[in-house]
Amino acid sequence: MASDVQPPSDRKRVKVYELKENDWFDRGTGFCTGRILDDEPRIFVESEDKPIRILLETKISKDGGYQKQQDTLIVWTEPNQTDMALSFQEAEGCAVIWNFVNSVQQHLLTLAAADDALSDDLERIQPVVLPAAELANLPEIDHLMRAASITQAGRDALSKCVIRDEYIHKLLPLVTVAEDLESLTDLHRLCNIMKSLILLNDTTIIETVVTDPIILGVVGALEYDPEFPTHKANHRQYLSDKSRYKEVVPIRDATIRRKIRYTWRLQYLKDVVLARILDDPTFSVLNSMIFYNQVDIVNHIQSDGLFLKELFSVFDPRSADAKRKEDAVQFLHQCASIAKNLQVPERATLFGNLISHGLFAVIAFAIKHPNPAIRTTGIDILVALLDHDPIMMRSYMLKAVNEKKTPLTDTLIDLLHTEVDLGVKNQLTDAIKVLLDPQVPLQAAMTRAGPENAAKMRTNILSDAFVQNHFDESSKRLFAPLKRLENQSSPNLTFQDVALYSHLVDILTFFVRQHLYRCRNVIQNERLAAYVTQLLRVPQKHLKLTALKFFRTLLSLQDTFYQALMTHNDTFGLILDIVYETMPRDNLLNSACLELFEFIKREHIKPITLHVVGKYGDKLRDITYVDTFQGLILHYEQLQGYSEEADSTLYSQEEETPNLKVPPSGRWQGVKEMDPAEEEYFNTSDDEDEWQQDNRTGATLISQIPNGAASPAVKSLVDYPDDDEEDSDAMDTKVEPVVPQRGGQKQEGVSADDTPISAAEDSPSTPVQPARSPPERLSEKRRREEEDDDELVKLTSGPKRRSSTSGSTGTAGLLRKKRSGSIGSVSIIDKGAAQTGTASVNAAPKRIAINLSSSVKAADNQGSPDTATVNTTGENEKENQNHGGPRES
Amino acid sequence: MSDLDRAIAQLRACRLIPESQVRELCYKARELLIEEGNVVCVDAPVTVCGDIHGQFHDLMELFRVGGDVPDTNYLFMGDFVDRGFYSLESFLLLLCLKVRYPDRITLIRGNHESRQITTVYGFYDECIRKYGSANVWRYCCEVFDYLALGALVLGASAELEPTGPVYNDTALSTNDDNELETEVLNSKGDVTMSTYRPRQRTSLDNGSVSPTRDQVPLRTGAPGTGASGSGAGSYGSRTGAVLCVHGGLSPLIDTVDKIRLIDRKQEVPHEGAMCDLLWSDPDEIDGWGLSPRGAGFLFGADIVKQFNYKNDLSLIARAHQLVMEGYKEMFDGGIVTVWSAPNYCYRCGNVAAILELGEDASNGGTVTRSNGDYGRSNGILSSAVDKPPLRSPGRRYRVFEAAAQDTRGMPAKKPVADYFL
Repeated sequence: MASDVQPPSDRKRVKVYELKENDWFDRGTGFCTGRILDDEPRIFVESEDKPIRILLETKISKDGGYQKQQDTLIVWTEPNQTDMALSFQEAEGCAVIWNFVNSVQQHLLTLAAADDALSDDLERIQPVVLPAAELANLPEIDHLMRAASITQAGRDALSKCVIRDEYIHKLLPLVTVAEDLESLTDLHRLCNIMKSLILLNDTTIIETVVTDPIILGVVGALEYDPEFPTHKANHRQYLSDKSRYKEVVPIRDATIRRKIRYTWRLQYLKDVVLARILDDPTFSVLNSMIFYNQVDIVNHIQSDGLFLKELFSVFDPRSADAKRKEDAVQFLHQCASIAKNLQVPERATLFGNLISHGLFAVIAFAIKHPNPAIRTTGIDILVALLDHDPIMMRSYMLKAVNEKKTPLTDTLIDLLHTEVDLGVKNQLTDAIKVLLDPQVPLQAAMTRAGPENAAKMRTNILSDAFVQNHFDESSKRLFAPLKRLENQSSPNLTFQDVALYSHLVDILTFFVRQHLYRCRNVIQNERLAAYVTQLLRVPQKHLKLTALKFFRTLLSLQDTFYQALMTHNDTFGLILDIVYETMPRDNLLNSACLELFEFIKREHIKPITLHVVGKYGDKLRDITYVDTFQGLILHYEQLQGYSEEADSTLYSQEEETPNLKVPPSGRWQGVKEMDPAEEEYFNTSDDEDEWQQDNRTGATLISQIPNGAASPAVKSLVDYPDDDEEDSDAMDTKVEPVVPQRGGQKQEGVSADDTPISAAEDSPSTPVQPARSPPERLSEKRRREEEDDDELVKLTSGPKRRSSTSGSTGTAGLLRKKRSGSIGSVSIIDKGAAQTGTASVNAAPKRIAINLSSSVKAADNQGSPDTATVNTTGENEKENQNHGGPRES
Repeated sequence: MSDLDRAIAQLRACRLIPESQVRELCYKARELLIEEGNVVCVDAPVTVCGDIHGQFHDLMELFRVGGDVPDTNYLFMGDFVDRGFYSLESFLLLLCLKVRYPDRITLIRGNHESRQITTVYGFYDECIRKYGSANVWRYCCEVFDYLALGALVLGASAELEPTGPVYNDTALSTNDDNELETEVLNSKGDVTMSTYRPRQRTSLDNGSVSPTRDQVPLRTGAPGTGASGSGAGSYGSRTGAVLCVHGGLSPLIDTVDKIRLIDRKQEVPHEGAMCDLLWSDPDEIDGWGLSPRGAGFLFGADIVKQFNYKNDLSLIARAHQLVMEGYKEMFDGGIVTVWSAPNYCYRCGNVAAILELGEDASNGGTVTRSNGDYGRSNGILSSAVDKPPLRSPGRRYRVFEAAAQDTRGMPAKKPVADYFL
């Protein structure tokens, strides 16, 4: 050994680094030498201060992945998997040590190769030599490339060789020659060779491939896929079509123009030419190349004030060039789509820039455009903005209201009312939902923006009363068409009416679900529930279903105000009518109705049970094909007959009413008038749930509380949580009283009977099954999800909410949620926690809905889902949803 | 030729229909699907198919091998979209056929028929690419919400009529006591494998729910030699219903009737019964297990056995998992995975299969299973009663490979029309 490799004798000044928890830890400065000890080549670093101290002693192995970086760095991995680095003072010193390492490795590889003739490492010392690029050599070239591609070392060597020799250039003339000769075999080989070259996954090669003189030759070869011998693609034709590039405003920078072209080619390669054969690494290399190009392009554009000015001047009303305006809208749309992939700060800058140049005016222009496609595009841009930062958008809008201008919301609402293109209508619905969504509190925006921005934000913050007022006014305007249903016992609806109503009810359902109290004024004052009740009668079944969903959502909120609404109108009578109409046929409407009554039965919603059985008892008795209604009647009879005994379990009342919640604000002062009958319902006691029976003693204790205090109806009217979801409500009230008695068990979260409860909470649509066979697994699963992905839990905390999220946030939002991995990425949780600290108060009850044990901890972890998602958008674009979202098949 | 027939013809040629037609089609489909129960009842004969995943040309091959609509009744168990490059053409064609022949074709929901999943695995991008906006994607997703969650195949025959030339003639003739239980055919219609079971004549069977089966690879000796004895007598040989669902069972669902209590019109949830039905997988475990997919569960043979017994089912057919042979029976024939996307993702190298369930003509098509229309079974109550053993239906698998190249051209995504940046 010693004879083969000469260790460097000079001492080179160097710093030693070790990678600890993703940080390079400085182990000290010293002098580096290479030595051969006991026939083993080693690197030593002696400390500069105390020459006796050895900072580093490492054996050079044949693995270890030694790399030389930036002339002065050597990086490698120790056998114990620690990453180490030597940072040399002089490049020359680095080179000396590097040569030593290199020669040692070569030597070791030769030895290893001698030991094992089949070793992959052979390629490392035998650089690939490709024969001259001639038709006659194609079989050999093809073969060599395939062979080299098998190992990483071979691929590296091949890449080097191809780049060094500019081999692709040399191959290209062969394509023309082979085509002239009509030699299909040669063309197929050339195609295979090109495939191999691209799949080497080398950035330099791929960059070369898309350059001007090369691209056509490469895709030309790729047109002859031997897997499809009878076909020929026409990539060249597509790629040489210059008219595909629309230049709205000339881009002066030639580099950027080239980048745009290359990016387009990369996309074409990814989507069309290579779509079938791309492996995951090459796919992601292509994606990231595209991404970085786009970043450059967008950055250039937004920094070019002159360009932007020219771009937005296209929309000058005096200009008559309609086509150019449309193209400019498309151009901005493409900017917005690219922006979705950018990091949040960059995206914010881009949007800020565009807005300051007049993006809103463009949106306004687009959404009023006679062409539905342009309207769609305009709303898409708007939705991208909304997804990026709903708070910012809302503050712009509120500012407009404050300045007595027509706010964007009014424009959108009017459009929704009159829009005839159903696709556009769909999108408008989504946009309005986000824009009016009362959930995201402005305070959260301040926190998120950080202290320095808080002051700036504050100027945008308007009083809560103002926001409420705006919400009420907008909602009034929005839901006005429902009033047309007034006094129509059997509404005769046009196709457009049906579409509009189902969107409106959908929005209303979303509002109610997002926020318990904010829309009460509107529902109350505009008598919206009564109109929606009317819709239960319409012949259009999907509209019926939408109305039914609204009431199902009201029910799941377990809120006395909404319960009263439903008992005042003949809601349940109409729902029962639907059951009668459909039964015993098994259809979606029927199932949805059954699920609703099943929910009442399962949750023991007392006032509703009393109302429904009391008022429609006979109707119920006649429905025997499922046992749901018998169950309700039984429950009712228990309520009536055993009221004395039920006194002892008075506490179960609390179950039905959210009186244990912390009132986060006193903004809503409750319902003014309370039906005496309702009042009575709440003062009658409830029966007990199965799972509470073993807590009888504890329950009795609680029931000693003076009755006045336990008048939950009154209490609940004031105590509204700030941030509610239907499930949490149910859970809260149900679980809190139990915790003291069953603390131990609950903390563990694995008790067998926990599961059915939480399962039921999480999915109102599934029947509760106490003591089902797989209980631990269920709770285990839940726990697991909590540990690694809170976002998944958030998304899963109720099908209702989720369906709205997905159905409503719009495509862009969805895309973002999914792509950003927010369903379950750890980093998101961290950020969410950091950034939404203040929102945690609101979140506590929600967490309880998911796990009883960790509500305290959860309070720190959970922000309102919206803020969390918004905040983290972008940072995680690259992560796919490996983290916890369901993996598909 | 009606508009619908024109649309079908156009889609069969792998050409898209205009957006306005898609919208109309989706609305029509919605009206139809809203009338379907969460579990659709389907009468045999029917051909059960697994995942398609946008492999349009292979779907065409499927129709070629299995018979065209409406001559053959089809039941597709979801995952029409994503992965392949022709999700739109595939799904819209199936939807058109559904609207055109509602009783001949049944579509149930797979885990990919979801907004969240399609935004990641290709369908969303395909819609944007091919129609320029997300509108069509929205219409389709709306339809997804209406798709049934499962299907019950009723009145399937226990015995198969042998197909085509019987190579092991002698074996058959000497085994009158055996009936043909399963048969595997290649895409040309040649039998490549058959299995037999003893003809059931008695209720004195030694209590085992499923009769003994003997696998007989073709041309290898006499089948049935190891058959357990069956005595005399002819207790009604009931064939249980076949439950078809995309994923599998749910710990929250112990009877088929429970599925009917789900309000299915929603995005596929991340947990709960509806999620499990679309996400779960059978596995060689006892009881229930965590699913590596992060949604749904794994369930073992005991679960399947109990569920089938309780619900008078003889078989669960499901899809959801790639199986290289196209189909895979598990748990003593209690459950089968059917996979209908050959060379999945254009590179997996697997074959595909469809499962044919024949019609039982012997007892006048008496349906042993109750459903919404006939009055429901009383589920739990009846479970104590001793039930005679059910015979599983005769199963004919047709295995096929990816469509020949000359019929499909190079699968590729559509490039963008114009670009600005």
